[in-house]
Amino acid sequence: MAHDDFEAMAALDALGAASADEEKALREHLSSCLSCRRARDEFAEAATLMAKDLEPVAPPADVRDRVFADVTPAEEEEHDRGFFSRWGLATAATLFLALWGWREIGIRATREHVQSQQADIERLGDQNRVLELQREKLSAAVASLASANTQTISLTGAKMSPSAAAKVFMDSDKHRAVVVFANLPSCPNDKSYQLWILRGDQPKPQSAGVFDVAKGNATITIENLPVMTEIKGLALTMEPRGGVDQPTNANYYVVGKT
Amino acid sequence: MASLPTPATDYLPAVARGDLAAFESLYDRYSPTVYALLLRILGNADDAQEVLQETFVKAWSNARMFDVVRGSEAAWLISIARSRGIDKLRARRVRSDRENDAGREISHRSAFVDHATGAEDAIRSQEQRAVRGALAELPEAQRIALELAYFEGLSQSEIAARLGEPLGTIKTRMQLGMKKLRERLKAYH
Repeated sequence: MAHDDFEAMAALDALGAASADEEKALREHLSSCLSCRRARDEFAEAATLMAKDLEPVAPPADVRDRVFADVTPAEEEEHDRGFFSRWGLATAATLFLALWGWREIGIRATREHVQSQQADIERLGDQNRVLELQREKLSAAVASLASANTQTISLTGAKMSPSAAAKVFMDSDKHRAVVVFANLPSCPNDKSYQLWILRGDQPKPQSAGVFDVAKGNATITIENLPVMTEIKGLALTMEPRGGVDQPTNANYYVVGKT
Repeated sequence: MASLPTPATDYLPAVARGDLAAFESLYDRYSPTVYALLLRILGNADDAQEVLQETFVKAWSNARMFDVVRGSEAAWLISIARSRGIDKLRARRVRSDRENDAGREISHRSAFVDHATGAEDAIRSQEQRAVRGALAELPEAQRIALELAYFEGLSQSEIAARLGEPLGTIKTRMQLGMKKLRERLKAYH
């Protein structure tokens, strides 16, 4: 069919007089033909001339009232929109307050974080100082081990721990000894190891240091070693946690003579 | 031939935004034309008023669907009213004895106006005056065919049967009549 045929259909369609087949064919054609769509719109507009040709008649006033009463729900919808606008404002205000509160919480959290970081810095500073002391001690111990005057003494496991052993690196010039223990049993939570110096000039042992063992090995440094007196030997006992003035038992872990 | 005035301001875009004042203006401008059309179609003031009410309520709720590119807001409103009026007319035909409608004379348009409540309040706009007589310029046979289709919602076959003419003849008359109306419309723009 040519465009003229579809225009003829459009003319009938504008009057509502096109047949079902004509309507279908026209609809399909209009979907892809701009000029015929324009013709259809112009015919539709032209058809309204028939209505405009009539003598206008003002409807009764009550019809107007009914029409506007019918659109009142739409006005209520406007009210609804107003309500929702108010609701929206309330929501926005709540959201603002929530965000403001969140910001305050964020600032507080940041402050706390900064304080926490400052505490960490102080703690790390303390650890650093401890490590520095340990480094100094380790340096001293290494110096003692490397000294030409260092005397080495081996201690052997006793009845409580036959497999245990220890080496004593004694630097008489520095009045210092470094004792390295191996294969010692771990300490119970309420116990500590305590090393004793058996002096020739005193009847009672002298504590040389208290330490804990977690994995069998430990190293302690004995300062102010009484080198001017006879040291008959060294002995290790397990004592109440923190150490005691005198041994509470004779259950030695390692013993040895110097 | 009279010339159309500059098209009046469209109210539908504002109505689509929920502007009640624009809707009032829309109603005041077009309700007399729409009401006259519905009286012409339905021949009954009560039915015409009912459909007039439906038409404008639908215009209020569907205003955002109006596309100015496709036609004027007057044509949009008239199209809604005509469609609803014809639907009501057809429903009434199904319900009641068709004889009442069958005996109606096409040329009795003014009688319906006389029956209408508030007919004395008719409003004549410049545009309406300018297009007045569009149908009168058509050959009577074409005008009658168009009126039967447009105002009574009859199909081509029904018109042919009503007028006792061949279907092809009726179709040609209607097409020619519509082409003349389209040309007249173009002449105004």
